[in-house]
Parts: sequence; structure tokens; C-alpha cells
Amino acid sequence: MNEIMVIAARAADAPVPDAQTRELLGHGRALANAAGGVLSVIAWGPDAAALARACGAYGADRGYVCDGEQLAAPTTDMAVAVLRAAVAAGAPRLIMSAASFRMRDITAALAADLACGHIAGATDIRPDGDQLLVTRPSHGGNVINTVACAGLAVVAVRKQSFAEASPGAARAVALVTLDVPMTSRTRVIARRPRAGAVNLGDAAIVVSGGRGLGSPEHYHALIPRLAAAFGGAWGASRAIVDAGWVPYDHQVGQTGKTVTPKLYVACGISGAIQHLAGMRSSRVIVAINKDAAAPIFRVATYGIVGDVHEIIPLLIAELESRR
Amino acid sequence: MNLVVCLKQVPQQNNVRIGADHTIDAGGIEPIISLFDEYAIEEALVWAERIGANVTVVSIGDPSWSDSMRRALAMGATDALLIHDAACAELDTHATAQIAAAAIRRIGDVGLVFCGRNSTDDETGAFVPALARALGWAQATYVGAIQQLDATVAQLERHLEDEVEQLEVQLPAVLSVVKGINEPRYPSLVRIRRVARAVIPTLTLADLGMAPPVPATRVVQRVPPAARPASEILTGDAATQVRALVDRLRDAQVL
Repeated sequence: MNEIMVIAARAADAPVPDAQTRELLGHGRALANAAGGVLSVIAWGPDAAALARACGAYGADRGYVCDGEQLAAPTTDMAVAVLRAAVAAGAPRLIMSAASFRMRDITAALAADLACGHIAGATDIRPDGDQLLVTRPSHGGNVINTVACAGLAVVAVRKQSFAEASPGAARAVALVTLDVPMTSRTRVIARRPRAGAVNLGDAAIVVSGGRGLGSPEHYHALIPRLAAAFGGAWGASRAIVDAGWVPYDHQVGQTGKTVTPKLYVACGISGAIQHLAGMRSSRVIVAINKDAAAPIFRVATYGIVGDVHEIIPLLIAELESRR
Repeated sequence: MNLVVCLKQVPQQNNVRIGADHTIDAGGIEPIISLFDEYAIEEALVWAERIGANVTVVSIGDPSWSDSMRRALAMGATDALLIHDAACAELDTHATAQIAAAAIRRIGDVGLVFCGRNSTDDETGAFVPALARALGWAQATYVGAIQQLDATVAQLERHLEDEVEQLEVQLPAVLSVVKGINEPRYPSLVRIRRVARAVIPTLTLADLGMAPPVPATRVVQRVPPAARPASEILTGDAATQVRALVDRLRDAQVL
């Protein structure tokens, strides 16, 4: 395990590693230490050098940096060119990134170019002799796969897979500047925030509703208010998204979003396999449903068998009274 | 210009069993077209009608996949092509993309390949980038709207987690689409009957002139997820249950 590379992402407000990059640095440092190897970061965009240097406090020894305004959010072709330059300048055994849509797109293209292994949506990576073993859930979390990769592995890792590295004595990060020609077969015309976007994936608490709410009016009267009382985001089952009660952006499940908050509250959701796929890895799960036999109670940490129309207003009042 | 849709057949529900040799056993679960692939078929059909193109549906699977391919034909696809070979049993993304690329090259004059954002069983989303790079074409993933398409360029939107990226993409290209880009049509009964006995043209790797590609990864173990801790069903009247719940959430330090 000679060199481990982490594709660094910056925090929104400063050129420092974001929470998941700190997770990847923490795990990367442990793997590098075990093998007597080097931990590197790859940083691109404006402030790439500052971001790479800031990773020194979290264990990085080396930084491959590619500056430039157009790399603030690069096209796939540009990002792959930068990554290939970093791979050529170093000798990586493992490249780790976030498992966001953008990074799944970029890392899978990189692995294809390098004809090496790609594992998307991993939750653990460990050495096993000469090979790496990567844990990856599939089938909506019903199957936990162990994937072996003998050569270079490019792995897109799910959030909250590893403990975040704590800042330590800052290492001096040796910077390697990459000079990459910027050609691309795609051109970004514009970017805009998604209207009504809800980043359920980032929420620490998610409150979801389903058919048991009875009507879209009841859903909208109760679920956003309960989410606000918890300080969380609001989600929905596929059934009510398909019925048009709630926009698709809020859908939790196999064909919507997969969330792993510290608290997931399922209200009037029976717990179809499709829904469980998107939330079963949450730390604490609360289920409120009038049907005691509903499958949601099988994954719930705490269950209340009762009518959501009675329980939710009481719960909002209780949370507000204890502020 | 030809348009291609890559289609995967998956179990409708993901409550599959794991066989003794770590294989996936989906016996007894209805096989369907992976949900996002339905959107890919619909989008290809819409653009084929507008620009006057053929739509060929391509799959790498076993003959039981013919039902899903016939459904795509019933929706309006012009042709179907199944790649079936004993060497295709446990392929990784890299190897699958090599085979799909060979099939697409064989079809010829392909301007655009449509896929779903990910299969609902494996859930990697890696096939489209791998296919695009194997073909040497541009890629655009998580496409939520295509505004314009001609012989050389597509104008489209990528719908990422929290932003929309407006892109101009040089063709040929490979796209993956998200749910909500359109409303997939139901095949008419007339069309279902017309394709009911259609024989899906099937090729082996040898027919494609290729040796089995070497996977870069292999699955060495499959297990069910760890069981969740036992549930506690709270008791008492509604007010008591609610108070007990908030107490426990505080104790668990999630509030």
C-alpha cells in the first residue's frame, strides 16, 4: 500500500476539507500507516493549493494540485484529465472520493480509462494481503457485498462510513503542481441551485410521511411542522410521491434518495422494501403507524402504535415545550 | 442516426436471497425493466420520433430477459439485441461496458445511448461513464431534461443533488436519465400482441468478435445486513408514549 490518494472536496465557506474529506483522510491515514505508505490528496479549482495544505492537519503528506477558475466545478473530461495526471505523477494503490452523483460520474470514467477496479457506494475498505477488500451494499441494503480488487482501486465512499479525522499537528504537505490541458467534449452553459432542492442526504434528522397521513393536505399540515420541531428535513414514501402529494426530490427509498441520518422518523409509512432500502442504515429509527403488524416496526428502534393525526401534534407540542 | 437504449432486467423487489456460493437468488420475484431504464426508453422514443431515428434496445443477460426486451419493443423500440454468453455470468462494470461498447459499435451510426441513472439492484451508476469511455464518447449522467438534439450536439440539464448543470454535449455521447425526465408510456395491447412472439436477436461474445473481458474486481462474499437492534414499542396513552419517546431520543443523544 504505497500511496493512497483522496480526492479532496472543500467546505462551502473556506478552502478547508469538508466533513467527508476529513472522514476519507482519517481512514486513508490509518491505511497508509499500516502499510508504511504515503497519504496524498488531489485538489482542483481556485484555492486548490490552500485546500491541499489544509489537509495536512488531517494527515495528508502530499498534495497534487491543479488551479484554475474553470475547475471550480469541472466537466467530467477535465476532472478525469487532472486525476490521470495525478496518477501518472504518483503511484497510487487506492483512490478514494465521495459517492455524490458528480464523483460517481468522474471516478467511474477515471477507472475505465485506467482499466482498473471501480467500486461505487462503498462503506468500508481494508487491506487483505496484496488485495483490497471493499464492502458495498446493494439491492437496497439487503445484500452486503465484499468486493476484492487486486490492482489499483478507485472507490466512491458513502458518507458517514468512517470517523472524521481530528485536526492534529499540521504536516507540511509537499505540493505537486499538475499542468493539464483543459479540453472537454461537454461545455457548462450555466449552473443554478435546484429550485426547492432538499439535500436529504446531508440532514442529521429526517421526518418522512406516507399514505397513512391520508391526504396531501394532512401531509403538508403535519410533516414539515414536525420536521421543523425536530430541526430536520422532510421526506416521503414513493407511494405519495407517485400520487403527486410531494415532489420527487423528497422521495426516500430505492428509486429516490438513500439517507443515513442520526434520527429517522417514519410517520404513516408501512415500510415497503423499496422504502426500507433508503433509510434502514439510519442510527435511530422511530416508527409511528396505526398498524402494529407494519414491516416498518421491524427496523424501528422505537415504535408508537397509534394514529399519526393524534400522535404528531402531541409530539410537536412536546418537542416545542422542551426547547 | 440510430439511438440505443441499454436495458437491464432486475427483480421488482430487492428482497433477494443469497445462495450458498454467494450468488444472488431472485427466484420467485417478478423480473422487470429496471425503473430508471423505463425513463431512458421513453426519452429515446420521444427523440426518435422528433428526429426520425431508430431505437435499438441492447441488453447483456440471459434469454429470460427477452420478456423485458419485448416490453421495450411494445413501447415502440425498433429493434432489440441481446448479448448472451456463459462467460457473462459475474461481470463487473468494466467488463460489462466493454461488451456493450462492442454491441453498440456493431449496430453502427449510433449518435446517442440512453441509460437509466443506475440499476435498482446493483445501484452503482458506474456503467454509463464506463461505457462512454470504452466507446471514446462524451458522457452526461443524471440528465433531467433534454432541450435540444441534432446530429452533432445535445443541450441538456444534469440534475445533481443540489444543483442543475446546463450542458452542451458533443455527439456521439452516452447519457443516463433520472426519474421525472418524462412519464414512460404504457405499451398498447395491440403492440404487446404484435411483439408477443418476437424472437430477440441474440449474439455471443464470439459473434461480437471479442474474448471474455477480464473483470478488474470480483465479489468474494455476499451476506445479509446486520440485524437492527430489537424494537421497543412504547406503551401507555398517546401523551405518555410521546413523552417516553422524547425521553429516549434525548438519552440516545439524537436530539
